[in-house]
Amino acid sequence: MGAYFIRRFLLIIPTFIGVTMIAFFITRMVPGGPLDRAIMQFRMGAAMEGGADIAGAGGGQIPEAALQELKRAFDLDKPWYAAYALWLGKLARLDLGNSYQYREPVAGLVADRLPVSMYFGLLGFTLAYLICIPLGIVKALKHGSRFDFVSSAIVFVGYSIPGWAMGALLLVLFAGGQFYAWFPLGGFRSSAYDDLPAMVRQWEDIDQVSDEFGTFQWDQMSLRSRVIDQVHHTVLPVFCYMLGSFASLTVLMKNSLMENLGKDFVRTAFAKGLSPRRVVYLHTLRNSLIPIATGLGHALGVLMAGSYLIEYVFNIDGIGYLGYTAIVGRDYTVVMGILSINILLLLVGNIFSDMLYAMIDPRIRFE
Amino acid sequence: MTMQTQTHDSPAHAATANPGPLLEVRDLKTYFRTEAGISKAVDGVSFEVLPGEILGIVGESGSGKSVACLSVLRLIPDPPGYIAGGEIRYRGEPLLEKSYAQMRAIRGNEIAMIFQEPMTALNPVFTIGMQVMETLRRHQRLSRRAARERAVEMLDAVKIPDARKRMKDYPHQFSGGMLQRVMIAIALCCNPRLLIADEPTTALDVTTQSQILDLMLELKARRDDASILLVTHDLGVVAETCDRVVVMYGGKVQEVGSATRIFGQPRHPYTHGLLASLPSRHRKGDGPLYTIPGNVPSALDMPTGCKFCTRCDRVFDRCRLEEPPLHRLPDGSAVRCHLLEEEAR
Repeated sequence: MGAYFIRRFLLIIPTFIGVTMIAFFITRMVPGGPLDRAIMQFRMGAAMEGGADIAGAGGGQIPEAALQELKRAFDLDKPWYAAYALWLGKLARLDLGNSYQYREPVAGLVADRLPVSMYFGLLGFTLAYLICIPLGIVKALKHGSRFDFVSSAIVFVGYSIPGWAMGALLLVLFAGGQFYAWFPLGGFRSSAYDDLPAMVRQWEDIDQVSDEFGTFQWDQMSLRSRVIDQVHHTVLPVFCYMLGSFASLTVLMKNSLMENLGKDFVRTAFAKGLSPRRVVYLHTLRNSLIPIATGLGHALGVLMAGSYLIEYVFNIDGIGYLGYTAIVGRDYTVVMGILSINILLLLVGNIFSDMLYAMIDPRIRFE
Repeated sequence: MTMQTQTHDSPAHAATANPGPLLEVRDLKTYFRTEAGISKAVDGVSFEVLPGEILGIVGESGSGKSVACLSVLRLIPDPPGYIAGGEIRYRGEPLLEKSYAQMRAIRGNEIAMIFQEPMTALNPVFTIGMQVMETLRRHQRLSRRAARERAVEMLDAVKIPDARKRMKDYPHQFSGGMLQRVMIAIALCCNPRLLIADEPTTALDVTTQSQILDLMLELKARRDDASILLVTHDLGVVAETCDRVVVMYGGKVQEVGSATRIFGQPRHPYTHGLLASLPSRHRKGDGPLYTIPGNVPSALDMPTGCKFCTRCDRVFDRCRLEEPPLHRLPDGSAVRCHLLEEEAR
């Protein structure tokens, strides 16, 4: 079995190259690349300075030499495959390159935002499992009941609404103040004293949590205040994160348990005189969890789970938001950087899933 | 109409300490709710298992024999099934009136059951050892270690080679015949008085079938007062093993009698048909094997008269109108057929 997984790990390399190559090719083909943006910025800068500038009398024309310089900076002077090879070579040395927009190393940008996305990813993932598994079990045991019917209806309505659309709706309903203002409009945490929930402001003195320049210092607050503020900002986005996986996980759990409850070994267990509790929660559940548990392998992907659109809607500066602005701003080094990490986590996660599968189900042996 | 067999045809080796029947099923009715209406899978079945005997229940698929057996342990999935009426007495005690907890103390302990498909009857994610020990520990106050020792003994007794080592193996690592041995070990580990074997050899190949039957008989021989209720559609199996036979068709008992009588002088046309379709009985050898024409009607549209009238080769008008009663014969056996009256006239 070890040999099998070594082979699987080695297969990551060609898959990774294939995917990133396609993505890289697309970034080259799509109009409005970094060069175009640089030229545009140059022109706008020229126009603002009233024409009297380094560009000379060309009326915003970029001199040929500068253009070549720019092209070289973006590796646009080479054919795409040569540029891709260069990018891959740098990646092999763990260098993701610099962001065009931020003029910072991509690795640093990602690392800065990783905790935010991990927080939402892990929380959403854990909550989804904690809620969906018991819910699925109850639904299976009460199949056909009113509870089963109503919860199915709710779960499927939730499933058919995209998380970001639900986010916008929730913001209008519960954050905008038009109906209620229970939650903040966005952000990962409060960035100013006035953003804090009213109850926290009751006991947090503005002078205590601001430095000498009057800047709000979130870390200076008491633990209680920090927890409340964090939860306050978390509820709505986490709800949106869970929305999609909720239905599939609940229904998977329910169907899996129902299917196994009809199996012969359940009848055997009853015929042995075992209690219904033991039959359901040990014999049947153990079998039903196999398809659920394999999904745990994808927990790796959760580290980068930032959804582009949900983070955008809630104005959370995580990986998703970074990715979104990178795509809009044609910041291709960032796009490629995030893509590479995501692909790697996905591929490794798949292998982890299979390993879990082999561990949980004695019938599975990979050769 | 209930069957009134007398006990004087009980086999000679039956223990006399407990004179009454070990299991007594009276007018059992097990129905299933379906979208097309109520399906009467078992409709007024009566039979009894005497201490020490092997009783065979035979009949084609759909005759209600498995449902009758599952009803004894109250293992009918509800919904859609339910026991609509009748009485089941085990050692004189009414099982249908037992609480759920009392019933659980009987299952696997006093009355054990083995099933048709050994490949699916065991839980695929637990070891064989765990599944044997689990039953032992459920019914007997045994330490883990004692239960393990007893489980190894049982696996040895059912002739699983290298039993101690195989305790750690999972069901998929065993063949069908070996799994049925494990099932027998689980069923017998608490020394039940009654073993219900629901088509225990049907899913196995022929050589394994006889090994499993021999094993059951051998283990049965160790405890004189223990009984086996053997459900099968294979008359060959019945001939080899059973003392008495109940022939079922259409959810009803059609004929009851000692194995010798049933095989020697079958009285019911259905029993005739079953025997005639046995390959070994087809003495001429050349012509096609006899088959009972038609199929078992669905439990949803059984004929109003005799259940077998749609397929019987000796059917007459009365059969279609009126269901025959179970006629009792002097030797204690019984036959549900109008022909007996006609012949008596």
